[in-house]
Amino acid sequence: MTTENPRRKPVHPQIDEGMVHGLVHGFYARVRDDDEIGPIFNRVIGDNWDAHLAKMCDFWSSVMLMSGRYKGNPMITHMRLKMVRPEHFERWLFLFAQTARDLCTAEIAELFIGRAENIARSLQLGMFFRPNQAAPQGGTRP
Amino acid sequence: MTHVVTEACIRCKYTDCAEVCPADCFYEGENMLVINPRECVDYGVCLVECPVDAVLQESEGGLERWLELNARYARTWPKIIGKKEVPADANRWAGAINKFEFFSAEPGRAA
Repeated sequence: MTTENPRRKPVHPQIDEGMVHGLVHGFYARVRDDDEIGPIFNRVIGDNWDAHLAKMCDFWSSVMLMSGRYKGNPMITHMRLKMVRPEHFERWLFLFAQTARDLCTAEIAELFIGRAENIARSLQLGMFFRPNQAAPQGGTRP
Repeated sequence: MTHVVTEACIRCKYTDCAEVCPADCFYEGENMLVINPRECVDYGVCLVECPVDAVLQESEGGLERWLELNARYARTWPKIIGKKEVPADANRWAGAINKFEFFSAEPGRAA
C-alpha cells in the first residue's frame, strides 16, 4: 500500500475500483473464449484464474488509480512465454479495446487503451527486438 | 520504449515515482533517481506522479543523453522500491534550471 499523497489522483475522476474490476473480468472472459489467445492463457494459468483476475485488478488499479497494489516484474514474466508471438499482442489489444469501448465511456476507454498499447509495445520490444536483425523476430527473413 | 528521469530530479528526489512503480525499476543515486530501461514497461504511473515533471517518455525524443545516464547508473546504484524522506531543501531546488552541475554519480544510501 502506498503512503497518503494529496497530489495522487486517478488518471480520470470517474475511474474507480468497480470499473477496473468490471473491465478486467469482462476482458478476460473474452480472452478465455478466444480461439487465438484463449488456449495460451488457459495453458499458462490453468486452474488459477481467480488468482490471476485478482492480480490483474491490482495491476490496473495501480496503473489507473495509483493504488500501488501491484508489484511485479512483467517483463521477465512475459519473456518466459516462448509461445507468444507479436500477433498475439495484436489480438490481446483488439479484445481489450473492444471490451473497454463496450463497458466505459469513450473518453475513459481511450485512456485504458492508450496505457495498454504503451505497455504492450514495451513488452514486445523486450521480448522480440534483436538489435542484429532489421525486423523483429517473426517478421520476414531474407 | 521506456520512461526516463531527467534533470529536474537532481537535488529534489521526491521518490513518489519509486513508490508507485509497479515494476520496481527505479535506482537511487545520492541526489537523483534513474529508471532501468530494461525493466520499465511504460505504465506511465511515475510520469503522472512526479511533482516536478522530471520523468519523461522516451518517445518524446531528444532524451538520448538522459537515457544513457539512466541506463548507466541503473547498473550500479541500489534499487529503490518505496518512498523515502524528501531532502530538506527539495522544494527550493524544484524550480531551478541547469542543475546538471550538481549531479552526483555516487550511489544512494540503502534504506
